[in-house]
Amino acid sequence: MKTSEFFKDRIFLYISYIVTYGIIFIFMQAFHADYQLKLITGIIFFLMVIVNESWEFFRKRPFYSSLKNKLENLDQKFLISEMIEVPSFAEGKLFCEVIREAVKSMCENVAVYRNNSAEFREFIELWVHEIKLPVSSLQLMAHNNKSELNEKFFEQLMRIDSYIDTVLYYARSENAEKDYLIKETSLKRTVSNIALKHRETLLLHNVSISTSGLDINVLTDGKWLEFILEQFMANSIKFFSQEREPEIIISAEEFPDKVILHYKDNGIGIPENDIPYIFNKSFTGENGRNGTKSTGMGLYIVKNLCDRLGHSVKVISEKNKFTEFEIIFQKNDFYKFN
Amino acid sequence: MKKIYIVEDDRSIRDELSKLLKNAGYLTEELTDFKSPAEKIISSDADLLLLDINLPELNGEMLLKEIRRSSDIPVIMVTSRTSETDEVLSLSYGADDYITKPYDPTILLLRITAVLKRYSKSASNQTYRGWSVNPAKGALISENNEIILTKNEMIIFQLLLDRQGEIVTRDALMTALWDNDEFINDNALTVNVSRLRAKLSDAGCCDAVETRKKQGYILK
Repeated sequence: MKTSEFFKDRIFLYISYIVTYGIIFIFMQAFHADYQLKLITGIIFFLMVIVNESWEFFRKRPFYSSLKNKLENLDQKFLISEMIEVPSFAEGKLFCEVIREAVKSMCENVAVYRNNSAEFREFIELWVHEIKLPVSSLQLMAHNNKSELNEKFFEQLMRIDSYIDTVLYYARSENAEKDYLIKETSLKRTVSNIALKHRETLLLHNVSISTSGLDINVLTDGKWLEFILEQFMANSIKFFSQEREPEIIISAEEFPDKVILHYKDNGIGIPENDIPYIFNKSFTGENGRNGTKSTGMGLYIVKNLCDRLGHSVKVISEKNKFTEFEIIFQKNDFYKFN
Repeated sequence: MKKIYIVEDDRSIRDELSKLLKNAGYLTEELTDFKSPAEKIISSDADLLLLDINLPELNGEMLLKEIRRSSDIPVIMVTSRTSETDEVLSLSYGADDYITKPYDPTILLLRITAVLKRYSKSASNQTYRGWSVNPAKGALISENNEIILTKNEMIIFQLLLDRQGEIVTRDALMTALWDNDEFINDNALTVNVSRLRAKLSDAGCCDAVETRKKQGYILK
């Protein structure tokens, strides 16, 4: 609280003091009071005012300035109710009580939504496990009853499966709970898992895949990383150029403090204007509108997952030439356990 | 014939899985009553166990832990739970592999072959028409001769040899190659097979690899 603000706030009080003394003065004048009496009364009166005001000022100012200071330094402003020190004056006490009550009720309110969202997420997890059963069943049936339709069947089943995974990872990425497991993960194994999983689609589009330098372990959640790379791959397959042989190059570089994974394709690239927005929620961009339908969720989820795992993700692209994604894994001994 | 024990509570998947494995030349036995499963599994004398994590009234991971106390039967966990924690837990309880649903049947069969092979000692000394196979060296060796195979040719040859006399589909070969980080395309597979054929016939094994149109290859 600024000093000037304090006095400005009490200006009416000061005017009333002056008016009061004015009235007293007029009365004393009417009774022909002595000059000295008038002076002494005046001094006593205004001394009292000054003492009162200073006491008031020095009592309240520390409370309000520390309150303001704490609020500014707090990351989460609502925690102020924990930081507040109950002052000695009545308004301050009331004020503290109100803040505490308000924050408490807000927390309760937030808890309801948090519960709802946790329950919803649990349901999604459960639902995803359940829906995968009939999908597995269908996949086995298609394999056991070979027919001309087989490949097309598989392709559609893969599509269903990848949409299901999008829902699962969206739910996981939006949730505040820690449900990932960071451990040493082989980049080679992860890449070959997804290549193997999508081999039919990749072969169908005649995509050549080359890898180099993947004999590195990084600290991450293997399943999440697989999902992230699958999103890159899904985008590559969607946006290959008609003019050249499709190609995907996956490589990794190791530095003393980090590992960078490069994922590059020779597809149609991303228009320069779109690049800053591609990780935004529901952003489809020029490519998404012109070509195949996009939901604009894939890369948003990727960004979210990377943030939660502590990796950074970048994109470099030149229109009609290539798109390259980079994931940067920090090396952190903190996570290592034996 | 190898026997595979299936623990899976979804009936439709169980039936299809059993059909898939029978078609691939395995014997199967299924758990239908989930009371005291560990004893049933151990007493079945199966060569490999396919174990689901979500089971009625019990958890696959706990079951695995129980089985491991008295048996070292090879186990592949098959589950729709896709979290790293489940995988780490399963492997630490002694599972040999972990596959998530929906699984590609070709990959599943490949993993089963791989796990069974790891466990059977005799398979490490495979021979073919007097040539002994040395995968580490990437060569077929006879008393006074040696044929060097490339990595791809070796993968193809081994898979054909494992199922000698049966048709191996191109998809199965492709899956095995991709599983070993050889991301080759259709044409390259054809080229690799014909090179392998040429090398084998140079070594005196004529007509070793026969092509079955629209089905695959067969090693005689």
